[in-house]
Amino acid sequence: MNLTFYHDEATWLHRLDPRTKIGGVLLIFVICLCFNHPLFIAVILAGVLTIFTTAKSMKVLWKLRFLLVLLFVFSVVLWPFFIKGKTILFQWHGLEVSRESLLYGFAMGLRLITFVSTGLLLLATTKNEEITNGLIRLGIPYPVAFALATAIRLAPTFADAGATIVQAQVSRGLDLDSKNVFSRFKRFAPLSIPIFISAMRYTNFLAMALESKGFRPDAPRTSYYEPQITGRDLLVLGLLTLTLAACLYLRLSLHWGIIIPGRL
Amino acid sequence: MTSSIVFDHLSFSYQNTTAPALQDVTGEMTRGSFTMVMGHSGAGKSTLCCATNGLVPRFLRGDYAGRVMAEGMEAGKNSVPDMARTVGIVLQDFEAQLFSTNVELEMAFGLENQCLPRTAMEERINTYLQVVGLEELLRRDTATLSGGQKQRLAIGSVLAMETPVLVMDEPTTDIDPEGRRHILSLIRRLRTRERTLIVTDLDAEAAVQADQIWLLKEGHLAARGTPAEILTDSSLVESCGIRPLATVALFQAMNWPGQPLTVEAAAAEIENRRLLCPHHPECRSISAIAPGKVILETRNLSYRYLAGATNALNNIDLTINEGDFVAMLGQNGSGKTTLAKHFNGLLKPTAGDMLVRGRPVNHYRRHELAREVGYVFQNPDHQIFAPTVREEVAFGPRILGMDRKTLEGNIAEALDATGLSGFEDSNPFLLNRGERQRVAVASILAVKPAVIILDEPTTGLDYVHQRDTMEMLKRLNQLGHTIIVITHAMWIAEAYARRSILMKEGRILLDGPTSTVFSDEAMLAAASLAPSDLVRLRNRLGLAAMTLTDMVKELRSEAVPPGSF
Repeated sequence: MNLTFYHDEATWLHRLDPRTKIGGVLLIFVICLCFNHPLFIAVILAGVLTIFTTAKSMKVLWKLRFLLVLLFVFSVVLWPFFIKGKTILFQWHGLEVSRESLLYGFAMGLRLITFVSTGLLLLATTKNEEITNGLIRLGIPYPVAFALATAIRLAPTFADAGATIVQAQVSRGLDLDSKNVFSRFKRFAPLSIPIFISAMRYTNFLAMALESKGFRPDAPRTSYYEPQITGRDLLVLGLLTLTLAACLYLRLSLHWGIIIPGRL
Repeated sequence: MTSSIVFDHLSFSYQNTTAPALQDVTGEMTRGSFTMVMGHSGAGKSTLCCATNGLVPRFLRGDYAGRVMAEGMEAGKNSVPDMARTVGIVLQDFEAQLFSTNVELEMAFGLENQCLPRTAMEERINTYLQVVGLEELLRRDTATLSGGQKQRLAIGSVLAMETPVLVMDEPTTDIDPEGRRHILSLIRRLRTRERTLIVTDLDAEAAVQADQIWLLKEGHLAARGTPAEILTDSSLVESCGIRPLATVALFQAMNWPGQPLTVEAAAAEIENRRLLCPHHPECRSISAIAPGKVILETRNLSYRYLAGATNALNNIDLTINEGDFVAMLGQNGSGKTTLAKHFNGLLKPTAGDMLVRGRPVNHYRRHELAREVGYVFQNPDHQIFAPTVREEVAFGPRILGMDRKTLEGNIAEALDATGLSGFEDSNPFLLNRGERQRVAVASILAVKPAVIILDEPTTGLDYVHQRDTMEMLKRLNQLGHTIIVITHAMWIAEAYARRSILMKEGRILLDGPTSTVFSDEAMLAAASLAPSDLVRLRNRLGLAAMTLTDMVKELRSEAVPPGSF
């Protein structure tokens, strides 16, 4: 699977300053935490999806559709067992599922999807170098920002190597479809060891290449892309802050959007 | 002339190894010169490159003695990032060097480290992208570039730093012939500037244009001199693991006067001195062997990687017979590997059929197919995982449920065929690249598949190892295995394959006996390929032989009609 999410376009979102986008993502995260009623979170998700379409990035979500569905299903199935609500739907040996807990599960599922999508939105519209640049300008130490950006950069590379390794071992007769637990364990080594070793070789090599180009994490360096905060950035941040304030008002003063009180 | 780089009694052994990588290397490279460093694999070429900017010993640690001066800076004493102002280095694995999101950012990376202001960066990026011929691809994602383009980008990004010394470690390895041509012509253009150039390569044909050749052998500087001095000494060159220039070798074998370094020079020499009487190529015959049963067959096969994308393969109709030795040729992206991955069911056709012994490939179970068609991947490190060679080789047969006795027998045979007997208990990770390649082949061989497919089995190997690998495949072919080799190395196809399949843009351009395919230089050019020097000379002279030995035989026995070959 191709894990490169960035897609070069020239939409308004691509042109925003990376600081704005990182800040915006955090604001949306907090907005998501304001409610635990599925309907309210669905509205927020709809908003995020609208931004996705205007940023021409829906294909990124499509790429990860299975993961998103999986997260949602897990949340809906598991949450009801850990939360107690008033309206009991059914009971079995001390396990009970209530209408509220079920709705809460839905809400948490939608929230997870919103979180992941919002993160993907950042990755889909921001170059790796811009993320590094944004983090540094936000005061994150360079080595930390660089390590983070490198992790994002290397994920697709290692996924590619992993795919090749799977093909190489399948060609030797490795059966990936077997249901047997024992054979599942046995097939771990032929896949994990080459992946690990090639990742080690790769990163070591990369470090050599970076140093050879004069890179050192503690030294000052200039940046080829120098994003600027413009009126558009301030507008976006302002709108999101207003939305957050409105949501806090709805939740704290009007007690809207709550299915289980006292929980995030 | 001022010296740019000075090696002063340099010796180095890597940590945890006994054999030294470099031993007492002493020599100078003058400013603005172009030095080609050659030698067998493990001769110390990469170590020498890394010593120029201090990666050896500051990053790759070990016992270091002597010193290296680059433009007055001592490599071992300064940090690697400091040396980067003087020495630019393009490391061997160009894929791993590209780090940025797009082409212009990759070019900018080194300049950012030099703290250049944006306008200056822009200027340099534009200048040097033009030098490497990538100016159209400014905003392209680096992952979508071809191998040759990636290598040129890696070179360009180092060039942009405008260091007085430029080092390139095997810049043409693992690149298709067209990409290789681009890079060699780029190197030719680079040397006209005020810049000291050090390039390592395995191929004598690439070294002709250098000022100096340094020959390394087991860490020693075995010889240095001009190409005319070094390359004309075939036995010296061969003893260092390098395939001698075909033209020189032929003239020596024929006892002809002169030592031409290029095909053009050789042809002119032969004509001027009337070394040959006019030849009549029309009665050339091909030694056809009786074809065995059909084992692989594609019927109107097409394949697309993603819905909506263009076809990677278009309506391929192909049969491969038992006992054949086939070379699949073409540029990167021509569809060779995609087609080969259909042969063992790794990919399923989007349209059409893939048959193995007349049975559709999806009617086979995975382990049945693994016994019919084995596939050796390009990079042995993508499959090696076991702590010993024996266990590695045993993995396939064991997982396919072979009983103990057959298993032991097969392993012994496979190790014997690959020349790895005695290595049973070695750790495969500690073997050299050539040996790891052979472990990968042995691990497929132990299953005894009827067909063995090898994707670029000679990448990263020197001449001696390439020849060993191919001789091994020849033996396996004689034992009845069908061999299919995907390769960029033309001489390998010429010397070993009976049949060659030429691919371009997902279609088969030409398919026939190798000697016929390689006579059609126009068709090869259409697929962006060209025969090796030896076969280009053969085509000019109108001979039938495809190897040096056969050619010498053919030329010596002018009395015998060429049809009998």
